Amino acid sequence: MNKPIMDDTTGHDTGTLALAIRNLDFWYGSNHALKDISLDFPARQVTGMIGPSGCGKSTLLRILNRMYDLYPGQRATGEVLFDGRNILSPSLDVNVLRSRIGMVFQKPTPFPMSIYDNIAFGVRLHERLSRTDMDQRVEGVLRRVALWNEVKDRLGASAAALSGGQQQRLCIARTIATRPEIILLDEPTSALDPISTARIEELLDELKQEFSIAIVTHNLQQAARCADRVAFFYMGELVEVDTADKMFTAPHAKRTQDYITGRFG
Amino acid sequence: MPHESVHTVQSYEQELEQLRSLVNQMGGLVERQVAQAITAVVEHDEVAALDAPEMDPQVDELERETEALVIRLLALRAPMAGDLREVVVALKISGDLERIGDCAASIARRAMRNELLSCPISLTGLHSMGRLVQENLRRTIDAMDQRDPELARLVWHSDTAVDELYVSLFRELVTYMMEDPRNIGPCAHLLFIAKNLERIGDHATNISERVYYAVTGNILPIVRPRGKTFD
Repeated sequence: MNKPIMDDTTGHDTGTLALAIRNLDFWYGSNHALKDISLDFPARQVTGMIGPSGCGKSTLLRILNRMYDLYPGQRATGEVLFDGRNILSPSLDVNVLRSRIGMVFQKPTPFPMSIYDNIAFGVRLHERLSRTDMDQRVEGVLRRVALWNEVKDRLGASAAALSGGQQQRLCIARTIATRPEIILLDEPTSALDPISTARIEELLDELKQEFSIAIVTHNLQQAARCADRVAFFYMGELVEVDTADKMFTAPHAKRTQDYITGRFG
Repeated sequence: MPHESVHTVQSYEQELEQLRSLVNQMGGLVERQVAQAITAVVEHDEVAALDAPEMDPQVDELERETEALVIRLLALRAPMAGDLREVVVALKISGDLERIGDCAASIARRAMRNELLSCPISLTGLHSMGRLVQENLRRTIDAMDQRDPELARLVWHSDTAVDELYVSLFRELVTYMMEDPRNIGPCAHLLFIAKNLERIGDHATNISERVYYAVTGNILPIVRPRGKTFD
């Protein structure tokens, strides 16, 4: 197996780490979906993950908050270090983990309840807040995702009535309401129009002041626009990781170059 | 500059091919312009003297076509990595080639002036400088065509010799002018010709720097080893 090209060897300072993957292997039954992955997620940076379909990038994202527990026949070895613990450990409380590492999906997934309750629901699972505190939390996160002015007069209305872009911003608000350290996004704008997409991208730029973000995207331009660092996966291997600038102007690996320039047969 | 692997989107590949072909055409024309300009001066060749400036509009037209194609590629294809480098570099190279064409035309326009035709001064120095510049330009264009970073780096280094020839020619011409004021006319023209040759050499090194970057993704050091200066 080729060793991935890591920017650690080129002297970039990655700062403190939000999360570190060490020698991770993952199988779905006999399918070896991720092969010996070691990857750092620097704190308060956006790490983009790119690669063709089936390369393992979404699988990796699902490992980071133990979503893979839901898949039958799965098996993971290696370490994913978060706050001093290996999150692959079976003894870990996944509910607490998922409040600290939040996830936003490709299609907006609002709960079939009011806008207000969509946010309050997750918070209530982990914290007991007074009505006033809860109101403040809801307003705070809705302002944070620039949705407050659009929904403040109809917080009791069903979230299903919002547009796709608004729903996705609501999902991000819901994710940050439990005050996670890391936000995982799996192609968060692939179902959105360009204006809603730009708003989400702007939001990511703002959120990274406070949160560490990992984003899987098929849109290379989006990775170039949003990510500080980009990791390229191919057939379960991490081929190369570097700053977005370096990855999109002068990547080292031929496979990276071929993929991002559209030369994959 | 052909690549080993091709794009999944064939029309994109064709556009990049078209860009390479435009820049290569420009390179070929400009090489001829420089050759004609030098022949015009050294051999007092009237046809060559007229020929070099006449190619200018063609070179300018190719530069405009290159610019338009680069802008279209950037807007519609959003090239990345090696493609991005190649497209941006093509734009810069076409600018350098166009300037080389201008220098060649300027040399050719001076070639048939009476001061030079009846000039008693030996053109040997100028001839060697011209040959060297021509050789460097040819190798630069080969490096571009073959995507050869090593050749590009070699040409980049060999401009030192051109600089040295220029300095010694400058001193020689100044000496002639001091010896006899009647030499001032022809020598002034020869100085401009030498300066233009030196400029052509500089543009060729710019091109080789860019070829090196386009192919490797690395930038050659800003400071190039230089020949003797006038200090």
